[in-house]
Amino acid sequence: MLDSLTDSHPYTKYIVGTLIFMLMILIDLQLNIFASRTINLFIRVVYFSIMALGFNMLLGFAGQISLGHAAYMGLGAYLTAYFSNFMGWNFLLILLLSGLIPMVLGIALGLIALRMERLYLAIATLGLGVTGQMIFQEWRAFTRGFSGIRLDRPEIFGFAFNNSRHFLLLATAILLLVIILTYNFSRSRTGRALSAMRDSEYASQSLGVSLFKYKLLAFAASSFYVGIAGSLYAYAERFVHPSTWGVELSLDMLAMVVIGGLASIGGSIVGAAFLVLVPRITAATPLLAEITNMNYILTGLAMILVIKYLPLGIYNTIDVKLIQPYLIGRSSKEFRYQDLEKQEEG
Amino acid sequence: MARIIFIQNIIGGLETGSLYALAALGVVLIYRVSDVTNFAQGEMAMFSTFVTFTIWTYSRAAGLPYPYLIAFIGALIFSAIFGYSIERVFIRPTAESSLLGKMIVTFGLILIVNGSAAAIFGTDSYYMQRAIGGTMIIGNLVVRPHSFFVIFLALVIMAVLFYMIRNTMFGVAIRATAQDRETARLMGVNTTKVTAFTWIMATIMGAIAGLMIAPATNVSTGMMADVHLKSFIAAVLGGFTSFIGPVIGGLIIGIMDNLVGYYISTNWQTVIVYGILILILIFKPYGLFGSRPQKKV
Repeated sequence: MLDSLTDSHPYTKYIVGTLIFMLMILIDLQLNIFASRTINLFIRVVYFSIMALGFNMLLGFAGQISLGHAAYMGLGAYLTAYFSNFMGWNFLLILLLSGLIPMVLGIALGLIALRMERLYLAIATLGLGVTGQMIFQEWRAFTRGFSGIRLDRPEIFGFAFNNSRHFLLLATAILLLVIILTYNFSRSRTGRALSAMRDSEYASQSLGVSLFKYKLLAFAASSFYVGIAGSLYAYAERFVHPSTWGVELSLDMLAMVVIGGLASIGGSIVGAAFLVLVPRITAATPLLAEITNMNYILTGLAMILVIKYLPLGIYNTIDVKLIQPYLIGRSSKEFRYQDLEKQEEG
Repeated sequence: MARIIFIQNIIGGLETGSLYALAALGVVLIYRVSDVTNFAQGEMAMFSTFVTFTIWTYSRAAGLPYPYLIAFIGALIFSAIFGYSIERVFIRPTAESSLLGKMIVTFGLILIVNGSAAAIFGTDSYYMQRAIGGTMIIGNLVVRPHSFFVIFLALVIMAVLFYMIRNTMFGVAIRATAQDRETARLMGVNTTKVTAFTWIMATIMGAIAGLMIAPATNVSTGMMADVHLKSFIAAVLGGFTSFIGPVIGGLIIGIMDNLVGYYISTNWQTVIVYGILILILIFKPYGLFGSRPQKKV
């Protein structure tokens, strides 16, 4: 049965996977098998997946780099906290606005990116990220500075998502929407134009790809995603504090995308899961737990090892080596990863 | 009085600015020679400073004469070994990766070095003495001799470096490698050696910058975050394509930082300085002294 499903649409694997996961949580809702900290872990994986997808749009699909995206995620989180505490608006409206407002700023960043090479852009956005964090610390009227803001779990049509499992289901549903959106986007004319731009700006320009339009689009889309992830973060953790939105978070995004796999939906999710699980696993391992910040060291090592030995990322490698040949052996004609290897020099 | 405060701010700016310049020069040196943007420069400097601090503490406790001098020499030796090992273990094996891949390796290094520093030295912050303590009064001006020492030291290091790059055979090898690695290798330049050497030089420069800034920031795992970022911005402001650009960029940022902090607002200082820099970059995207790189399609 699974065969016929994966044959019909290549992205059915994501949908089926997500639905199975949701079903699992639904069953768990009755049986309470998972500990509540496991559920919280799942929630983190889900919103980080959305974040990583957003970052992957930028880095993986469009070949642009930003080290300031943590600030956009923070903005999304603060907007959510502000709107839900002081305006009392509807959850969906807040979620949308928390994506749209960072998106507008993302377009501004895209305008800057138009003038800069990758290296200069990386450093300029690094500066912007730090600036964003400073603004979160200092603009107390909006963010309450270092005291942080508390907020409640969302409510849709009178149904409050106070149970973490309910909230996990909601977040997963949003992730599913984001996956479908991303997949279709990456396969559209626009998505292909983005990949062309990534592989060579000059060549794509000569084929009529407007760098102006597509760079702005890449930044807009990724900041929208990241803003939404920030909104879910705020709802999930019920607390927003400026220290979260530092350069470390931007580095985490990069690590997720690199470790999981560039330009891949599954890669973003695997990367997010990797970064969420590593600290937990090290904390649970007797010897490693003794060492402060062991998870930093492991994540850093993982990044370098992946660059050296699995330049496609963990997920993409598994996909190319195992999943794709299997599907190709059947009927699917999808095979697009060889061009990833040639990516670069953009 | 207003004028004296202004001059004091300028001296303070030159002090931090020359440290930014030193660190930025290290980054640009590595970038020019091996196409790697070393985002871990600041963390490596932090690690070296911790080692220096440890040597200083132990030699003081052991009652050795001139503990600061011992620590300083220790810093030079350690950072040379440290820079070489990083290059050998992490950078050389990944030299064949894409440009983005090389950049990401240094991001991984940030995590590794920072995590190791926290694991080895802990997350507390410690006091570190100035190279020369006390204050000096010149006319109405109150200045720290440390400031002059820092500016002087940075100038000497840069002078030596520039002299070497311009006038020695090894400098020619560095410039040749920076210009075209393949051709340089064909001409008999040992590019592997040149790369290793630039990593050693850059790490030493970073370590000195870290040691000199330590009295102001204290020694902690987060001590270099600000310096590191500003040295990068200095490199961008000056342009990665020249060696003198980052030096001037560093000085500009140091002075601007101090002036904005004093005359406008300390809380918003960083935000304002970055705002100005982004504006400059919009009009001069390759930095003040940089030239547009030639690119093959």
